[in-house]
Amino acid sequence: MSSRRPGSSGTNGQGNSVVLGPKDRLVGELFIEGDLHVSGTVDGSLEATGDIEIAGSGKVNGAVTAYNRLVVGSDASLIGSDVRVARLTVEDGATFSGKVTMGKREPVPQPVEPEQPQQLVQPKAKRR
Amino acid sequence: METQEAVAEGTASAENGEVKRDGRKQFSMGPQDIFEGKLIYDGSIHADGKVEGEVRVTGNIDVASGANVRALLEGSNVSLKGAVEGTVTARDKLTLSKNARLSGDIVVRRLQIDDGATLNGHVRMGDVEQQASGQ
Repeated sequence: MSSRRPGSSGTNGQGNSVVLGPKDRLVGELFIEGDLHVSGTVDGSLEATGDIEIAGSGKVNGAVTAYNRLVVGSDASLIGSDVRVARLTVEDGATFSGKVTMGKREPVPQPVEPEQPQQLVQPKAKRR
Repeated sequence: METQEAVAEGTASAENGEVKRDGRKQFSMGPQDIFEGKLIYDGSIHADGKVEGEVRVTGNIDVASGANVRALLEGSNVSLKGAVEGTVTARDKLTLSKNARLSGDIVVRRLQIDDGATLNGHVRMGDVEQQASGQ
């Protein structure tokens, strides 16, 4: 079960994929480590570490965050307060509105790197 | 305006696919051209080079891939391939092609964004109010 979509999503290793079908409905908040496919109705906020696709006659009202890609299909609708994505495709015919922010993923820029090499060297020298 | 006439003449080539499709004028710019100011034009514009200011046309706006636009744009169909900074209003459809970069708010009736395009701004969809041009 190791490799559905190994690289694209999920820092925990598993490429999870969640599907909300045409008759499904979600009210509230959803976070997914992986991909999300919506063709039902969502009132609330969605966040996925992979892709989000709103397809068919899917309707989403609320904030959407996709660490990778968001696709809004031609019959689908996204009325988002806040849309944060790395890549975005909106097909002709789709209903789409909201505040769009695109760019590279944010939660990367603060790794502690600069002083590590020195720390590795100094303890050895002192031991000696 | 002498420039208008001059440009309209120079446009008649088949260089741009949409030239005079419905007998309309087209204001056509080349990659070296610079436009600064406010243009209100009964026709379409092919924007290339550098554009700064305000462009309101009754026809279509088409921004070439190498273009650098910092302007308010308003037209029927607006198609972006280059970089645009500013508010964009499309009375019909706005298309962002794969290399387009738009930062600014948009008001459109229909919207198509191709994979690879970059958009930062607020999107409002619905009927565009009767030409919000203060002139």
